[in-house]
Amino acid sequence: VSDTDFSLGRALMLAVGYENVEELDVNNYRVVPGSSAEVADVIGRASAHKAAVHPLGAGGRPQRSADAARPRVFISTKRLDQVLQLDEMSLLVHAQVGLTGLELERILSPRGLTLGDYPPVVLTSSLGGIIAVRTPGKSSARHGFFEDAVVGVSAVLADGRSVHTRVAPRRSTGPDLARALCGSEGTIGFITSAVLRIHKKPESRLVAAYVLPSIDAAISAVYLALREEAAPSGLRIYDTAEAAMHFDGLALPANHALLCTATAGPTDLCACDRDLITSAVIAEGGTTTDTSLADLWWRRTHAGEPSPGPSPSLQVMATPSKLRAVYRAVIEEAKTNKCTVRAHVSRFDADGAVLFFTLLDGNETASATIVAACERAAGTAGGWLHGARATKLDAYLRALRDAIDPDHIMNPGTLA
Amino acid sequence: MIAHVDVERLQRDLEAIVGPRRLSMRAVDLDTYARDMWPRLLLRYREGELDVPRPHAVVWPEHVREIVAVVKLAREHDIPIVPYGGGSGVCGGAVPIFGGITIDMKRMQQLRSVHSDELICDVDAGLNGERFERELARRGYTFGHFPSSIYCSTVGGWLATRAAGQLSTKYGKVEDRVAGLTVVTGKGDVIETDGPNRALRGPSWTQLLLGSEGTLGIITSARVRVSPAPQLRVFRGFEVDDVATGVEAIRRVLQKGLRPSVVRLYDELDTLINSFGSKDDPDDETPIVRGPVPAISSGALPAWPDPPRPQDDGVIDRIIAFAKGRTSRKVAMNAALGKSSAVNKLFGVVEKVARRGCRMIIGLEGSRIRTEIEAALTFHELETAGARDKGEDPGWAWLAHRYHVSYRMSPVFRDGAFVDTMEVASSWDRLADLYKSVREAIGQHALVMAHFSHAYADGCSIYFTFASTAPDAEGAERIYDAIWRDGLEATTRVGGTISHHHGVGLLKAPYMVGEHREAMAIFEAAKASLDPDGILNPGKMGLQHRRRST
Repeated sequence: VSDTDFSLGRALMLAVGYENVEELDVNNYRVVPGSSAEVADVIGRASAHKAAVHPLGAGGRPQRSADAARPRVFISTKRLDQVLQLDEMSLLVHAQVGLTGLELERILSPRGLTLGDYPPVVLTSSLGGIIAVRTPGKSSARHGFFEDAVVGVSAVLADGRSVHTRVAPRRSTGPDLARALCGSEGTIGFITSAVLRIHKKPESRLVAAYVLPSIDAAISAVYLALREEAAPSGLRIYDTAEAAMHFDGLALPANHALLCTATAGPTDLCACDRDLITSAVIAEGGTTTDTSLADLWWRRTHAGEPSPGPSPSLQVMATPSKLRAVYRAVIEEAKTNKCTVRAHVSRFDADGAVLFFTLLDGNETASATIVAACERAAGTAGGWLHGARATKLDAYLRALRDAIDPDHIMNPGTLA
Repeated sequence: MIAHVDVERLQRDLEAIVGPRRLSMRAVDLDTYARDMWPRLLLRYREGELDVPRPHAVVWPEHVREIVAVVKLAREHDIPIVPYGGGSGVCGGAVPIFGGITIDMKRMQQLRSVHSDELICDVDAGLNGERFERELARRGYTFGHFPSSIYCSTVGGWLATRAAGQLSTKYGKVEDRVAGLTVVTGKGDVIETDGPNRALRGPSWTQLLLGSEGTLGIITSARVRVSPAPQLRVFRGFEVDDVATGVEAIRRVLQKGLRPSVVRLYDELDTLINSFGSKDDPDDETPIVRGPVPAISSGALPAWPDPPRPQDDGVIDRIIAFAKGRTSRKVAMNAALGKSSAVNKLFGVVEKVARRGCRMIIGLEGSRIRTEIEAALTFHELETAGARDKGEDPGWAWLAHRYHVSYRMSPVFRDGAFVDTMEVASSWDRLADLYKSVREAIGQHALVMAHFSHAYADGCSIYFTFASTAPDAEGAERIYDAIWRDGLEATTRVGGTISHHHGVGLLKAPYMVGEHREAMAIFEAAKASLDPDGILNPGKMGLQHRRRST
């Protein structure tokens, strides 16, 4: 009896059990496998039916397809929620991708371990989503880029084959095949689990707040400190309007900026990093200010205290030399459109930082036209919009997919 | 095996691209470009065996467009292309096993720009490592990559093999320092990967191309991350009772979040052999050059390796010196290395009697204030873990001698022996198993010693040095192959990686499937995409050999 003798729905039920298959529409199914073996089975059976396979993470919803005739299988990672191995000696965790970053953090925390000082909002996604989609800002000045913490992945290819990239601290045996799967958004393989580098919880944490005479000075101070090798666990620059909104009407002098910082690590280094930042701030003409501002910022980003809304309308990544220009361009453009705008800069890493703009045109949010105009201004000034896609290598990605997935069942329509 | 090539037509066509002066088909050049520094090839050359594959032509392009034209020509002729950097590879990665065109990249050697705001620079692949580092040093930066081959390797070679420098614990391996690559693919397109780095969605083509050893594309330039030149360097020697204590001490330092630039732990035999050299020798008059900071003009490099002096010739000669006692070098070496398993056992006894313990070198560098604090924390952590402080001298002595070994191989081969190194790595939980298994596996065939270097928070590499001898070339090759077979199989068995930084080439190609298992399918798919005709460095890295004609 071959797979194609059964209907797709029946084949899927055989793979994961009746209770884990839901028929969404004619020939559209959501399945919830409970192990990587079940994922392999599902993909193998979907492949026999030439059905499209779409991964669904924590917040994912089945999307409508342009090709209505094609049977589709949405594979939810909800039940892939186990820690498979915790190697406290090497500080590595092997976790299934249905766990969200925060859930994993809750498992690690009682053992004195942590995923690292990544922005908690990044960690609200499932690991699969964090790893499979490359967007800027999944990083920290202290621990680097999240994708650099991925030491190995297990994935299922289009033909139902499971691959497990081997774990080693570094290797020199050809391309990094795990990193080919990271960022591929399920088009090369369906990632079922990942081995991640983790850290011991820091001995100390210190926060500090500073006022600087301008956004430019604040950005300069940050890079001055980073050049002195300070490795802060968090950095955020607020412009005057953003500071007033976030800190209950805090009145900074016009065009000034508020810088909040957090450092972590062995106590001496933690204090050293804070002092390096303080020196840099003073060199740029700034002063220290009320630490309780930084405390509140840290509680909001890390302890779930609500931040004043609405959420930012525009996220732009820029390299260190372009940050100031992008900031100015968007502010100018918003003013031209008679729009109130405020901004903060955070997620500093080796590539640059992310600017978050909140645009208000009298109502709750600015109109789409104004946001689009600001996006264009940001792009012209040398920034990259959150979620923008590299297209110049599309032909090569297509050829790679042709070779590994000739029937194009893996997340078709994505990255294409 | 070697494709049939219409040599005259090839010459005409290549001349049209690079002109007659940057093309050679002379035997002496073809011989030179037939090999790299793979010791197994040196064994053959020692025996005067010249029946090895050679390229049909060597070209020295100066522009990306010339490389594009050569690739298109190779597609048309259906002949292979092998990119060639410094020729310092030790795995046969640049050997043109099917002939074809060897592209020497060394005329593309510009350090084009350093963007000081971004701490990145654009550099051509053919630039020599030492010149690159000196150019950066002049501008107040460092790439932080100091392989022992730095005087004879190129930036492109580092990128193509995922090389590591001696200070990798702080600066990372070369792949950790790349923001983007410019590559000519097997289709003859010029592609740029990861322009704005991680800002854009899609898989990381940079990480797919790094380490592909010329099988997926020809790297012509790179955008790499640089660091401000260190303001302070601190070195210290330590001693521990045994390997296990030393390994544990290093792990504790790194997992505390401290980042020394260099960490080296020598096992008992390596420590013993090293002590036969000049470093602990009271007659040694080598002035120890002390910090705090080397002059900017010299960067982080010594002026040049000192001319070889008879009394100190690096570790390799010390192995021999140790073996020879008062008799002649060759006889003694044969005697000692010929019974290497017995010697290894003997050293087991010597270790226990001598109780010399294991030597450790720790170095830190970077910005003045942070390095001071990090050094104090590091040394404290080591002492807490049972390491004994031996002062600064061993550290500075290591720094002064660190490039010596690599230039002392040929005399050993001349004398009828061979040496090679095997660099494997694993996570900390498997490291003790890895050390024991590989040491036993190699120890059946050769004298073997090891040091632990390139440590990370999640694991460490082990660098085995082995030496042996055989009456003839055939016998030597048999022993050599057995060492690699048993060593790498032992590595895979305990879950380590078969190469930390030397690459794969021909040497480790048969073990790639064991290393990557089913994941090789992704490498094969990348090959099909970037080099559909299979013209780029064919026959390497365990990829299935695909040729259009077959």
